Amino acid sequence: MDDLEDDTTVFSTLKSFKNFITRPDRSLSEAGPAYGRSDLQKLYTQRLEMEEAAERIHSHTNLLQLTQEKQQMELSHKRARIELEKAAHLSSRDLQREVDRNQDLLTRIRRLEDREADAGQALSEQVENNKALKHSIEELHKKVDEKDSKLTEANQTISALRDELRGLNQQLQTQESKLSTQTLENQALQEQSELQRRKYQELSQRYQSLQTSQFSSTESELKIKELERRLALQEQDSVIVKNMKTEVARLPDLEREVKRLREENAYLRETKENSSLLKEETEGLRKKLKRMEKVKEDMVNLELEKEKLELKLKAWEDIGQTTGLNIRKPEDLSREVIQIQQREINLKQQNYTLTTSLRTLEKARAELQTEVVQQRSKALEEQKKRENQDALVKRLQKRVLLLTKERDGMRAILESYDRELASTEYSPQLTRRVREAEEMLQKVQAHNTEMEAQLSKAQEEAGTFKLQAQRAELELDVLKKQQASVVESNPIATTEEINSLRQKIEELESERQRLEEQNNILEMRLERHNLQGDYDPVKTKVIHFRLNPTSVAKQQRAEEVEQLREECQRLRDRLRTLQAEGTMATDDASFSIPPSQEVLDLRKQMESAELKNQRLKEVFQKKIQEFRTACYVLTGYQIDITMENQYRLTSVYAERMEDCLLFKANGPVGSGSMQLLETDFSRTLTEMVDLHLFHQKSIPAFLSAVTLDLFSRQTII
Amino acid sequence: MSSTLKGITLKGSAELVAEFFSFGINSILYQRGIYPPETFTRVTQYDLSLQLTTDPKLKNYLSNVVSQLKEWLFDCTVQKLVVVITCLETNEVLERWQFDIECDKTAKESSAPREMSMKAIQQEIRSVIRQITATVTFLPLLETACAFDLLIYTDKDLEVPEKWEESGPQMIDQSEEVRLRSFTTSIHKVSSMVAYKRMDSM
Repeated sequence: MDDLEDDTTVFSTLKSFKNFITRPDRSLSEAGPAYGRSDLQKLYTQRLEMEEAAERIHSHTNLLQLTQEKQQMELSHKRARIELEKAAHLSSRDLQREVDRNQDLLTRIRRLEDREADAGQALSEQVENNKALKHSIEELHKKVDEKDSKLTEANQTISALRDELRGLNQQLQTQESKLSTQTLENQALQEQSELQRRKYQELSQRYQSLQTSQFSSTESELKIKELERRLALQEQDSVIVKNMKTEVARLPDLEREVKRLREENAYLRETKENSSLLKEETEGLRKKLKRMEKVKEDMVNLELEKEKLELKLKAWEDIGQTTGLNIRKPEDLSREVIQIQQREINLKQQNYTLTTSLRTLEKARAELQTEVVQQRSKALEEQKKRENQDALVKRLQKRVLLLTKERDGMRAILESYDRELASTEYSPQLTRRVREAEEMLQKVQAHNTEMEAQLSKAQEEAGTFKLQAQRAELELDVLKKQQASVVESNPIATTEEINSLRQKIEELESERQRLEEQNNILEMRLERHNLQGDYDPVKTKVIHFRLNPTSVAKQQRAEEVEQLREECQRLRDRLRTLQAEGTMATDDASFSIPPSQEVLDLRKQMESAELKNQRLKEVFQKKIQEFRTACYVLTGYQIDITMENQYRLTSVYAERMEDCLLFKANGPVGSGSMQLLETDFSRTLTEMVDLHLFHQKSIPAFLSAVTLDLFSRQTII
Repeated sequence: MSSTLKGITLKGSAELVAEFFSFGINSILYQRGIYPPETFTRVTQYDLSLQLTTDPKLKNYLSNVVSQLKEWLFDCTVQKLVVVITCLETNEVLERWQFDIECDKTAKESSAPREMSMKAIQQEIRSVIRQITATVTFLPLLETACAFDLLIYTDKDLEVPEKWEESGPQMIDQSEEVRLRSFTTSIHKVSSMVAYKRMDSM
């Protein structure tokens, strides 16, 4: 770096020098003419000056360059310093970090060390444990060994016992053999006894013969008796042995028998269970059978019924076939029935309509009949009238005839008069009369015609009435026919009637629906009421147990309230009396308050306090005992308070139980002045008493001396 | 097994229904906390573990009522049994557990047993008791001290026995009703429901 920088500086100086060279050249060239005329010295000096100047410039440039360099250097230095500082900073930070890390690591190491120590401790503990465990294992091994040895011992004992057993068996066998030998001996003895008897006989014979041999015979007799006794014993023994033998022989048999019986027993139990199961099964089966039989009977009955029903069905089917209706199934039948019912209903409806129309028609007919009757009566009246009129007509005709005859007579008379008095004065009179008569006649004739007209009229009327009657009869016939037809056949109900009926039906239907809804609502309400517990008092009544829990609780409550009220009253009275009497003592006997909550609380508190006291006492007792034993162990004296302000000290090393020291406190214990009272033991210690108590006036020293003395005495012994 | 084969008689039905009431009433008393829970003991019935009271007074009362009820069930004269829960402070009826009993009176004339499976009846009873237990979830809490009473709705012509007396229906003012399940022994049909006082806060 430095070299390179040096090079560049050189390079730059060169350049600057060249520059410098070139510049003075130009100045020279310009100055040339100015100074051309001057001499060489001058030129030389000039040149020297120039050179000096150049040198100066050069040095100056050098200086400049150096300064520049220096600046650069400084800059670089600064940069370097900054960089260094940075680096230092970084390194310091790194260092710090490192230090931190180091500390961390240190702490970690410490922790690890601690842990290690702990682990070491644990390890040591573990090792100890292991050791202990090893110990225990060893102990266990030992125990096991012991056990093994015991076992072997036990085995040995077992084998020994077995051996013993074997020996005993052998002994038994030997005994048995002995027994047999004894029996043999017995037999031999028996034989011997027989021999003896023979001998005895001989001896008796000899006795008889030889009295000297009597003595020996008596001896032999005694011997014989003894032997006989022995024999009896032997026999008994042999019997016992035999029995034993037989029993022994029977034992395996018995065992076998027992086994067999047990097996048999088990088998029998099994069989019993089986049999009970079978019994149950049989019971079940019997029941089943019964049921089955019942079912069978039922089946038979059902079959019979079925046959009957089949027959019936066939009959029905036949009917169906015969009637030509398509009845194959009950549904068909029911459908048919429904159809028929519907038809019947239709018919009934028609019938009803017809009967109603019939009734109306009947009514009409009755009306018409009455009308007919009226008409008939009318006709009869008319006939009567006509007859009357006929009669009248006849009379009138007769009268007309009479009148014509009269008129003819009158005319004849008049003519006769005319003839007699032909053209006399009377004639006008007569003619007048005649005219009058003729007028009258004409009047009569007119009247007659009138009457005739009336008659004819009446006749006509009668005819019309008759016609009317006939018509009415015809109508009646028609009506009768109608009625008959109505009754006979299905007359088509009139559409009006149907319409009206339909309307009515619709109205009724709507009303029915309305009523149904109402009914539903009412039922719902009823249900609700029912749910709420309502009931119909006509049909139902509600009862309950008189002593039910509610009434009991209520009663209790009432009683409680009553009690409280009474108490309140009592308290009030008391208060009043207290107020009246002031602070006078009241009669407590009349007043008894049941234990209130407060009292109960206080009692509880008291109980707990007592309990506490008790516990404290126990603790104190314990502590005192502890303290006393501690005192006893530490000082070697057992201190008892026998009387008020009097203390008895008994040393550990006392030779006798009665050896004790008595101290009495003068005044309060706190003052610390104590006096030794004389006892049998203290009398033996006069020296120490003189020394320690009278001289040194120290009870502890005295006690220590006594202790040491007693201790030394004990250890010497 | 034998009972299923034999079917059910009027007597058996009455016993069954009375037994159901005994357990049902105990369940209600336990569930509704009318009596302290420590006075109840656990027993197994209908394959359910149920609570039965050990309070001697209550036991005595219940046995009295149930035995009488059994007679009436046998006579088919009982229509309803109602467990009324009353608040002791206000004497207000808070709950009514109503069991409607429909007796088939023809069973009195014909003594022939009906075909009915004991298992099925017990199944039905079990579901009724389960539902009684489940109703606690929606019934309002009984916050005050309460006592209960048993009302029996009988036919009008029934002679009131000694120790019994007539009572009112003890209805609830403004109640909500919930119908519960029912069961039938084919002679007695028991349908249950509960009515409870509507709370203002609800």
